[in-house]
Amino acid sequence: MPDGSMSGRIGQSPVRVDGRAKVTGAAHYASDMAVPNPAWAWLVTSAIARGRIAAIDEAAARAVPGVLDILTHRSMRGEVGDAGFFAGGGYAGSTIRPLQDDRVRHDGEIVAIVLAEGLEQAREAAYRLRIDYAEETPAAGFGSEGAELVSAREASGGSFEDPGVGDADAAFAGAAIRVAADYATPTQHHNPIELFTTTAQWEDGRLTVFEGSQYVHGLKNGLAAQLGLDPAMVRVESPYIGGAFGSRGSLTQRTALIAVAARRLNRPVKLVATRDQGFTIASYRAETRQHVKLGADTDGRLVALVHEGTEVTSRPDPYKVAGTQTTSRIYACPNIRTRVSLLHADRNTPGFMRSPPELPYMFALESAMDELAHAAGLDPIELRRRNDTMREPIKGLPWTSRSLMPCFDRGAAAFGWAERNPAPRSMREGDWLVGWGCATTIYPTHLGAATARVTLTPDGRARVQTAAHEIGTGTYTVVAQAAAEGLGLPLGKVLVEMGDSDLPPAPVSGGSNVTASVCTVVMQACEQIRARLAAAATEGPLQGRDPATLRLLDGALRAPDGAAEPLAAAMARAANGAIEVYAENIPEGLPPDSLKKLYQGKQALGGGLEGKQHVMAAFGAEFVEVRVHSRTAELRVPRILGAFAAGRIVNPRTARSQLMGGLIWGIGSALHEATEIDRRTARYVNDNIAEYLIPVNADVPQVEVLFVEEEERTANPLGIKGLGELGNVGTNAAIANAVFHATGKRVRELPIRIESVL
Amino acid sequence: MTPPNRDLGRRGLLGAGAATAALPLPSGPTQAAVPPQQRPDMTLTLRINGKAHPLTLAPRVTLLDALREHLALIGAKKGCDQGQCGACTVLIDGHRVLSCLTLAATAEGREITTIEGLAGPDGALHPMQQAFLEQDAFQCGYCTPGQILSAIGCVREGHAERPEDIREYMSGNLCRCAAYPNIVAAIEQAKPRMERA
Repeated sequence: MPDGSMSGRIGQSPVRVDGRAKVTGAAHYASDMAVPNPAWAWLVTSAIARGRIAAIDEAAARAVPGVLDILTHRSMRGEVGDAGFFAGGGYAGSTIRPLQDDRVRHDGEIVAIVLAEGLEQAREAAYRLRIDYAEETPAAGFGSEGAELVSAREASGGSFEDPGVGDADAAFAGAAIRVAADYATPTQHHNPIELFTTTAQWEDGRLTVFEGSQYVHGLKNGLAAQLGLDPAMVRVESPYIGGAFGSRGSLTQRTALIAVAARRLNRPVKLVATRDQGFTIASYRAETRQHVKLGADTDGRLVALVHEGTEVTSRPDPYKVAGTQTTSRIYACPNIRTRVSLLHADRNTPGFMRSPPELPYMFALESAMDELAHAAGLDPIELRRRNDTMREPIKGLPWTSRSLMPCFDRGAAAFGWAERNPAPRSMREGDWLVGWGCATTIYPTHLGAATARVTLTPDGRARVQTAAHEIGTGTYTVVAQAAAEGLGLPLGKVLVEMGDSDLPPAPVSGGSNVTASVCTVVMQACEQIRARLAAAATEGPLQGRDPATLRLLDGALRAPDGAAEPLAAAMARAANGAIEVYAENIPEGLPPDSLKKLYQGKQALGGGLEGKQHVMAAFGAEFVEVRVHSRTAELRVPRILGAFAAGRIVNPRTARSQLMGGLIWGIGSALHEATEIDRRTARYVNDNIAEYLIPVNADVPQVEVLFVEEEERTANPLGIKGLGELGNVGTNAAIANAVFHATGKRVRELPIRIESVL
Repeated sequence: MTPPNRDLGRRGLLGAGAATAALPLPSGPTQAAVPPQQRPDMTLTLRINGKAHPLTLAPRVTLLDALREHLALIGAKKGCDQGQCGACTVLIDGHRVLSCLTLAATAEGREITTIEGLAGPDGALHPMQQAFLEQDAFQCGYCTPGQILSAIGCVREGHAERPEDIREYMSGNLCRCAAYPNIVAAIEQAKPRMERA
């Protein structure tokens, strides 16, 4: 074993416990799971965004040797029911149900599934399937005729309230310093490197699905609802996930269709959807348009903040991210008005993508803050210091902890911010204009109900079972660390089993909640085991000690006075064999039905900014150097630095990787990523990962992550704040602000490209 | 790899170099008129990780699909199936190759190395695997087999002398988790150990 791997308590940096499997090719992702004699499925997706299927000619496709069947709306027999929209108490990420009728509701909707003996035959037959459409003019989004604008409040049936306080418009009108501007963010796609795949297998009426999932219990229960099955008859296995970033959080419609195909063929069916199909059969980050007004007094203290945003969504689904929930709470300001609207268009339903609300809305707010700093003649860090607050301004609730300014101070010192000449276009190296920018980053601290089973065997090994997910965040490792800490065992003695809906349910791997939620319940299970061992230690070396003072440490039960009993002996007193504990936890502040919802596979995260007593979030400060070529306007980010405070860091090694990856995601979002849509046809143009640009190794020379120590006492017993989505939030504005500093040109639309600064 | 009723128009647009030009939507695939033919399977032997594997395959099967679906060597990953992501990278005669763009039949008689063939018989990791592990040069791990094989190729080609060379010559392997700086550190760690070995 590598150095350090045996020492893996909370706060240490062991290498990943699943690292060896990942570097040897032994880690099995969904499409790697072997099933006997699978048939292959190939999707055929719509060539129009709105209209009707006029005719389907299957003859040439069916003539391909090896073709077994073709599913279309004509051959479906109502096998797939409605699982409901996840945000309305259901399961599905989109309520658009393909193959239910002849309607086409967005580009790339599944219109047929070809089933064949081999993948090559399925692919060939899919190419030979002829579909004729009766096309209608689609609305692509902003500026399209026929798109329908509604307020988020109205779309939610009144359950969503735009946060606000005071009279922002009047205060803005009277403010000494004012900035007002429009911002735009594009459609973006997660593009995890693992494709969207599904393998379905039926055995004696039981369905097993192998599919990369951020929420195996949600997928299991949603599938059961769609197929009219007892959830106990459905199992979802997802031991490793090849990247997710939100794309695998909610049920997509393909899964039930592949299950139906497998039931019809009476053999396992395997689907590996193509990269371009992945752009339309799963979700994406919605395009936004935003308007921000900031008013301040002559000292730079905010007196008015207005933030309005409009987000594109599908015709049927009121999906929203409403990042105003965050942007209205960050800075002290007595007058705030926000409004979120939705634009229904002929698009697939968007969904969660890493830092869903914060990324687009913080781009606008933090750009506007930089504009205000410039207008006020203040250093952008000083502006944030003057508006820092330990209470959010909407309800006046305290932050459980907040280390924004320590992050700015630490980051500024490491970055060399004091050397910055504040004047735009003032820093230059040869032909390159140099710009330094910074921005606040924030991610709310979410928590969810969770369950886990922990088994300690007399040989000093522990097994932890919880249906959490490894999407690259290091969950296997941090869960093992929690058990190693709780049971006083070396990390190598802890086995963690996850990613299987037959295991005790864990929350969706979203909202950066899992490390806090799952480690907490695992520690509770370990505490119950400790308590049983301590209660039984009435004789032997620990006789007479107060059981409450006994601790499990280094393979023994130990008293504060140094007396100790080896674990095997302590276990022999407490049990004849293994000790097994099943723990359930509802985090403080979450409703009592949170556990029930967890067992039903319904997402019910709490905490964050929704609390009644307090609000909680992780903060950070991000610093970027950009270089813009004075003649070609080529844009580069030679270095980027983030200083972050997120309570207790369970594993600094994996946490650093998360934040580093987040910063690079931010570079991609700011400079590269946009899914281009043909506004007339409402179809994607660059649906592949050569033309949908994501950062490559050469794009990121230097990334530095600093941790600012922070003690969090309220959020959860371990003091953990999730950080998987903290890194990429501030980056967009930090880069735009640096571009302004380099060039004097304020770019308010992402991504920032050569043509943006010419 | 999408049916033409969706994609032919797009390829035509891009091929014409005018992404916004109007073209009529094709109503169906042009191939529909051509009667399907089944070409007979072929027998071949692939030499993978030092072992011979006899196979009977359709001639159009890619090396990636042969490895994954016919030989259960699932370490090589499918991330795009069109040569854009690098997740399917294997070594052929020591050189890095995209197995999704390689027909299996063309690899006969050559020495193929996959991620499964890197560790020693005693389970000892290759220096590059060990370095990826220690430098946390991955997160989800999906692109990792391709990254590691590509990294070995990068060192052998002499393209790992400076960090900027590594970044440039590793840019064909996408990592959406963005472990890039750690990948560079892993290659810098492994290079002298590979050269000593």
